[in-house]
Amino acid sequence: MENPFAQEPRASSSWLWQVITGVGLVLLLGLHFIANHFIAKGGLRDFADVVAYLRSPIILVLEVLFLVVVATHAMLGMRALLLDFGLSERAERRLSQALTAVGVLTVGYGLWLTWVIIH
Amino acid sequence: MANLEYPKVRRAGRWFDVRRRKLGMWAYALNRITGIGLVVYLYLHLAVLSLLLRGPRSWDSFVSLARAPYFLALDVILLAGILIHGLNGLRVTLTGFDVGVKAQKALFGALMLVAVVALGVAALMIFGG
Repeated sequence: MENPFAQEPRASSSWLWQVITGVGLVLLLGLHFIANHFIAKGGLRDFADVVAYLRSPIILVLEVLFLVVVATHAMLGMRALLLDFGLSERAERRLSQALTAVGVLTVGYGLWLTWVIIH
Repeated sequence: MANLEYPKVRRAGRWFDVRRRKLGMWAYALNRITGIGLVVYLYLHLAVLSLLLRGPRSWDSFVSLARAPYFLALDVILLAGILIHGLNGLRVTLTGFDVGVKAQKALFGALMLVAVVALGVAALMIFGG
């Protein structure tokens, strides 16, 4: 009998990282949601509350970790999607480099934004 | 991108067309569609957070806007994407490690049921204040 789920991708190191960051995201996103939307009154914080929130060392570590993991997971996901175009080895390498750069810029921007907000 | 041939582009987008396809392909397409949506949201979220750079007035007026019912509806759509992608992702992870491979259909159905129930509860919490 044909396996209806046979189209799913096979395991690779990228797939494994996708899984590791995915499982990490389930945990970090849960904490992010609880910290952001269930503790703050009305589910959202005003400007002063956001600054105070980000100045908490535990929250800062949690949010930075969340940003790194979510950016990694997103870039790996986009890579998997774009690899379907049947790229050459060279194009695949360039794609990986470009997505790494986008991921680093994303994390860098998030860190800068956080730094400016808390200072 | 100029060196890409048309059939390659067509082949790359084939997963998107789930007509007359089996449940596995629907699950696969659903994971990708929600994934793309969440990547778009990630950058929208960063753009919105950039309002904090403009000071309290910009941020606080956005917060007032974000409490409007139509904005809360967008939150529910976002949660739907997160739940579908997250729970379906857990299924892909389990089956990737040869856990529950024979029960994939049932697992997918059960997890999507969990997503619907969780979304219903979350929507009640969001709109109930």
